[in-house]
Amino acid sequence: MKNKIKLALCQIAAKREDKAANLTKFEELTMKAKEQGADLAIFPEMSLTGYVLHDQIYELAEPIPGPSVEEVETFAKKAGLHVIFGMPELTTKAKATLYNTSVMVGPSGFVGKYRKMYLPTHSVFEEKRYFRPGYEPAEFQTQIGNIGLTICYDVFFPEVFRLPRLMGAQLIVCISASPAVRKSYFEVLTAARAIENTCYLAYVNLAGMQDGLQFWGGSRLVGPTGDVLAKAKYDVEDFVLCDVDFGDLRTAETFVPTMRDLRPELYDKLKGFSEQI
Amino acid sequence: MKLTPSVLDIDFSEAETRICRFIKEYVEKAGASGIVMGLSGGVDSSTIAALASRSVGGDKVKALLMPEKETFSQKDIDDAKTIAKQFQLQTQLCDMTEVLEAFYRGIPAFEPADRICKGNIKARTRMIYLYYYANQQKCIVCGTSDKSETMMGYFTKWGDAAADIAPIIDLYKTQVRKLALHLGIPKELALKPSTPSLWPNQLAESELEIKYETLDLILFGLERFMETKEIAEQLGIELAVVERVKDRLLATEHKRRLPLGPKLGFRTVGNDLRLPRHNY
Repeated sequence: MKNKIKLALCQIAAKREDKAANLTKFEELTMKAKEQGADLAIFPEMSLTGYVLHDQIYELAEPIPGPSVEEVETFAKKAGLHVIFGMPELTTKAKATLYNTSVMVGPSGFVGKYRKMYLPTHSVFEEKRYFRPGYEPAEFQTQIGNIGLTICYDVFFPEVFRLPRLMGAQLIVCISASPAVRKSYFEVLTAARAIENTCYLAYVNLAGMQDGLQFWGGSRLVGPTGDVLAKAKYDVEDFVLCDVDFGDLRTAETFVPTMRDLRPELYDKLKGFSEQI
Repeated sequence: MKLTPSVLDIDFSEAETRICRFIKEYVEKAGASGIVMGLSGGVDSSTIAALASRSVGGDKVKALLMPEKETFSQKDIDDAKTIAKQFQLQTQLCDMTEVLEAFYRGIPAFEPADRICKGNIKARTRMIYLYYYANQQKCIVCGTSDKSETMMGYFTKWGDAAADIAPIIDLYKTQVRKLALHLGIPKELALKPSTPSLWPNQLAESELEIKYETLDLILFGLERFMETKEIAEQLGIELAVVERVKDRLLATEHKRRLPLGPKLGFRTVGNDLRLPRHNY
């Protein structure tokens, strides 16, 4: 496993309902990332299809693995790179049951996936109308490190990040489709999730506008002490390279040892009280 | 699912009951004194005339007949009068010719050869008449849009689709024709070819380039998330025809919604500021 890796934060404005165009962009940026020495290219939530799809989502969702994932596998193998991106997943066990999923592909093919656990259904969001929530945290031990996957609104729920961290993740990737009115929340919460878990957090948001929602971009790499180590432009497409040094986790863990100080017995109380809200 | 004409069969007695209850309750809860509607002599407005009359009584339904010189048809006027008499509606003849000609003269960029832009003025002028009478008489405007036209975006934005209620908006055109027959509307009128009357000899099916019998089955399939290929195979028609209908459905969504604005605030009108309709 590498101790230092380079990330490419691929902040794109996905073209709605045009998987071919988005896959072309994925490939172009993956090859660019490879040329510039990156190990992992990260694309936003639902960047394969666009985010605001309403009922058209049923036409666009695919199984994972499936045709689009296979295409990503092809250029990930060619580039020798890992790639993470978001898409609507159609379960193979039913005809119209969908998940909002983050997919990880590597040079050897499909690595794994994470199905979003917290589906926003308030304000402008209607995810529970279409998606079934996921139940499993995701952490993958790869050649480039132990990587956890999360998606967007999950960031409001510390346990979704704590779980992959406890499973061994040292870099948690949060892909997102966050509109501008939520910017200040995400800027704080991404730092908080990194600090409390003493791990790296890569946040990659959509840019551009869909159905009046302006995605604010602002993708970033947050270090294990909460420092924003790299940041993409607000609102527009951007491509940012940044470095992760897993050796820094040791320093962070000794400075504020949250992993050491965890109190498992509190989680029982948390479960009990949360059931009684 | 097998796409045959029978999929569009519904219980028209129940549909009548539900629609009439809807109209009656809406008018009562709005505190309105009645209904204003446009009556063209076509199947949609004739059907609304019958339903409105049965809901609140013909004496509380003001039907405006709004002919104008270019598209004038004595047959349509006679048909509208037949319906008004059958369902005992109050009628008002409003010849729009002078108002329209004033618009044509008054718009510096007016181009008479552009029949769509010109035709839309007619549809929007009808809306102005309807709302004038509704405001003056404390009535609501009852729209006559059906599901086929609405899904296809085959209407004038802020024109014929502008109304307070749309009682037959969830019925396809072929269903409206059957409901019309069920309501006792003469067969000749129930099956009369539809026209928006924006220019002379305009016919909906010619302009849409498809028969409503086929269109409604395509739309029915799309409504139920069927794939275009499957719809085309089942109906024995070219895939391109189904794709064209679908493309038009998707392309006209902007006509069916409030205007789009950028999300800036906590809750946004037309997006996530969602309130119950007061009293309804």
